[in-house]
Amino acid sequence: MILLEAHNHIIQTTLAEKVVKPTSLDVQFVDFDGVRFRLSTQERKTALLLSMSIRCWDELVKYGVHDVLKREYGSMLQPQPEAEYNVTLLVDLEQIPPEGEERDAAIKSISLLKRNALAAPFELAFQTQKQLEAAGSGQGELMAMHYRDEEAIYIQASPDRVTVIFSTIFREETDRIFGKVFLQEFVDARRLPTIQSAPQVLYTTREPPLEIRHLPGLKDSEDVGYVTFVLFPRHFTHPTVAASTISHIQLFRDYLHYHIKCSKAYMHSRMRYRVSEFQKVLNRAKTEVAVTDRKTASGRSMIR
Amino acid sequence: MSNVLRPYLAAVRSTLTAALTLEDFSSQVVERHNKPEVEVGVSKEVLLNPLTISRNENERVLIEPSINSIRLSIKIKQADEIERILCHKFTRFMMQRAESFIVLRRKPVKGYDISFLITNNHTDTMLKHKIVDFIIQFMEEVDKEISEMKLSLNARARVVAESYLAAFNS
Amino acid sequence: MDVNFRKIDIDQYDEDVLNEEELYEPDRRDPSQVLNDTKAKSAAVRSALSKGDTVGALSTVLDQAPYGPNVEEAKNLNLQTLVSILNTTKATEIPGIVKALSTDAQDTLMKYLYKGMALPGWGDVSGSVLLGWHEKLTEAAGVGCIVRAMTDRRTV
Repeated sequence: MILLEAHNHIIQTTLAEKVVKPTSLDVQFVDFDGVRFRLSTQERKTALLLSMSIRCWDELVKYGVHDVLKREYGSMLQPQPEAEYNVTLLVDLEQIPPEGEERDAAIKSISLLKRNALAAPFELAFQTQKQLEAAGSGQGELMAMHYRDEEAIYIQASPDRVTVIFSTIFREETDRIFGKVFLQEFVDARRLPTIQSAPQVLYTTREPPLEIRHLPGLKDSEDVGYVTFVLFPRHFTHPTVAASTISHIQLFRDYLHYHIKCSKAYMHSRMRYRVSEFQKVLNRAKTEVAVTDRKTASGRSMIR
Repeated sequence: MSNVLRPYLAAVRSTLTAALTLEDFSSQVVERHNKPEVEVGVSKEVLLNPLTISRNENERVLIEPSINSIRLSIKIKQADEIERILCHKFTRFMMQRAESFIVLRRKPVKGYDISFLITNNHTDTMLKHKIVDFIIQFMEEVDKEISEMKLSLNARARVVAESYLAAFNS
Repeated sequence: MDVNFRKIDIDQYDEDVLNEEELYEPDRRDPSQVLNDTKAKSAAVRSALSKGDTVGALSTVLDQAPYGPNVEEAKNLNLQTLVSILNTTKATEIPGIVKALSTDAQDTLMKYLYKGMALPGWGDVSGSVLLGWHEKLTEAAGVGCIVRAMTDRRTV
């Protein structure tokens, strides 16, 4: 599996199961970036409550997350979220369409809750770009989403493009060096003719890009990296293309770190193999100790 | 074995063979102690001249002989940051398993990446030329392994980047 | 309790203690005289080299090589002289030359090869040249030569 999926697998499978056979349940689980979910039944087995807590909710509210969720989930969206959560959906299992493509689509849409919430600022930026393009000048608001404790996404619309900047932390030196290799490949990969139309990627370590340099509270240390994606209208003019661009770009940070971890795991398995080979070579040096079967007086072999 | 590496490994092999002439030797300083003299380092008369074999500044081997033990330290080639971290990880991984590698020292000598400590007990229980073979094979393969790991990291990074960016096309 | 007495180096009061100098026969020559000798040798080597007599040049430089304390300058000079010989010799000639040397000269040459490789800065010393000489010398003089370089306290 090279690419990560935008939907939450647990929501998808649990819903698919419960639609067929409703039971009471109360499960809590997590997704990327410290997003917490709770799936529970309150009064009856067919009314499922799905709540989500996300770190940058207050920022998302500013950028119109309510409108986006209203559009996606309509009456499912509860006016008052559960305690300790930011947003709650009421899924009535009796309302889910009968088995078939329609049901799968409905379930999939619910499992995309996190993706849809995070999509709000992107959609806003895409709209802003349209307005700016018509006006011919100006700059959109620099939208920041602190989706992890020390990491953030910044989005800014310009008349001809939308700039998305990720700040990410490499916790240890290995991650930092591996990260550099990966990011360099992201920059270089665009030279390939087949992916010429992909967004332009830039990265810096330590030094924040110009767009966000004026912001206060940027961490100044060797382990911070900044990745800039420049999205052009071709990436978001068509609605379906825009939707896939959003799902895709949201997961960039998770994708990068996932593959850094995978590389480390691979290196580890390689080292394990190589070291066991060395072990065999060294064992060849050991002289054979002759094991003689010693017998007791009664003829049985003696075991010490 | 590549031709450039051969004289280097040959020199290590002959020096190590020469140095591996060990005998049992109890401490002259402390009663009832029998320790590797190269590590204790208090009796000058049982320590021999340390010998260095090097290809260049970044690749060398230090052999410190003594009457009952020798210490062999290797500095592994590290051309850039990636090789440095891979080398560090690999040697660390090995040294954590030092107990199964009998002749491996848990910490490298300062200025080197990995050290071996061979005592008279080891030469008694193991074949001397096979120990030498092991060291030489280690030196041969560690370079190869590190450069292969680096290549595979780069290859993976490329695939990862390409498949991520290609997804924008659809 | 005062534990400082533990830090006193009691070995200095021990008359049996072994000092570095007692491990080998000291050079009887005066340091300045050693330096002059080395300089003279260096000149002799240059003239021998210009005549193409590499064996003679090597024998000269390896004879009575400076060792022991207080003669660092002479040691460095001698090493430089030696390296200039090693660098100018063709790889194909090395086996013949090392065979022609006396056993003592072979041992001293081995010491110099290790010293050259141990130098941190290198300078004009090339690792592959020294390794080439080392290989041929080991072939000619055997492992014993290395053992003698290892055990001889008269470090060059």
